[in-house]
Amino acid sequence: MTKSEFKPKIIGFLCNWCSYAGADLAGVSRIQYPSNLRIIRVMCSGRVKPEMVVKALYYGADGVLVLGCHIGDCHYQTGNHRAKKRIAVLKRLLSYLGIDPRRVRLDWVSASEGSRFAQIVTEFTEEMMKLGPLSLKEAFS
Amino acid sequence: MEEVRSLAKSWLESRKVDAILGLREKNGHIAPHLFTETNELESLTILSHIGEINSKYFSSNRSQRYKKNVLFLLEQNYPNAKIGIVARGCDERALIELAKRDQLNLEKIEILGVACTKEEAMNCRCPKPYPTKLDVGKRVEKNSSDMNVEALLKKSLPERFSFWKYELSKCIKCYGCRNVCPLCFCEDCEMEQDLWVKVGQLPSEIPTFHFIRWYHIADRCIECGECEKACPVDIPLLTIFKLLRTDIKELFDYEAGLDVKQEAPLLTTLDETPLKE
Repeated sequence: MTKSEFKPKIIGFLCNWCSYAGADLAGVSRIQYPSNLRIIRVMCSGRVKPEMVVKALYYGADGVLVLGCHIGDCHYQTGNHRAKKRIAVLKRLLSYLGIDPRRVRLDWVSASEGSRFAQIVTEFTEEMMKLGPLSLKEAFS
Repeated sequence: MEEVRSLAKSWLESRKVDAILGLREKNGHIAPHLFTETNELESLTILSHIGEINSKYFSSNRSQRYKKNVLFLLEQNYPNAKIGIVARGCDERALIELAKRDQLNLEKIEILGVACTKEEAMNCRCPKPYPTKLDVGKRVEKNSSDMNVEALLKKSLPERFSFWKYELSKCIKCYGCRNVCPLCFCEDCEMEQDLWVKVGQLPSEIPTFHFIRWYHIADRCIECGECEKACPVDIPLLTIFKLLRTDIKELFDYEAGLDVKQEAPLLTTLDETPLKE
């Protein structure tokens, strides 16, 4: 596959209360953003176990986006606190394994930030284009 | 060694403790034993040849599904007994970390702290080769740097990738690292869930299979190195855990196994344990 035709696969774990609604708003407002993102709705960004991120990468994702409510706005008070800590440790671990930690991104998108959602997805997709394909399963076997 | 025996004897005689958990040498073999009589204490030993058996001998019995440690079971059966335990630095850290996670009650045990020799500390690449409650022996300082860690940090990302590709490809999914770990006490282990890995099938899912334990132990690893010693194919697991412990220290200013009162940072909110980036 040449770099020009490379279309990164991105898995997005979006929290039900803010980010999923934010994505919805982006859709309703007809904001354009790259179609590389496959969204999985979770109840909270604190629901996202690091195993889920690694499994996504293992089975072919080039990057993983985890989006949740802004700190202080979590529907479950502190779910996103945990997400933030987990992803910080996860990124370090990935870098020791030789996987670029930029392939995982945690960010906050509220229900009213449709354009911010589109901007994050665009940025992240562009970054994955630069990093190129990961194909973890094939590379490690 | 004699000092340990005589101290143990005086503890038993003065009824400071009702029994002492330690290692016993019998017929040339070393195994854990609960000493209740003073005349038994002649056979009490501390491992001089590390690696022969798990030095965290009080940890859970892996042959059973019920993964409770020996001290927990003792407390269940003898709620009023006070148990002395011969512990090195790593043993003490494991005890503290287990107590923090409600796996045993520190009030029911009395630690008989033994310092490791310089040679033993070198052998284990130990970060703290003496217990905080030191009864026998002298403190030797830890090794300041670790060759394997430095070698990995010098590598670029693609080099690290190929390094782990080779190392992890040796894995035979024996679960030895998990079984020997004093802090792996979950009754339902994530490494045996079909959701993440194909249980009982080789080759292992690299790196998912290994990653699960690395992450789960991240804020509780006490850096005893038992996993690396247990690994039949010599995967340098301690390297990862040394790095992880440094990270947890950097990110949360937290070290596992030092203070029972300190809460595990991955279980608390950002207000309780802030994240430093």
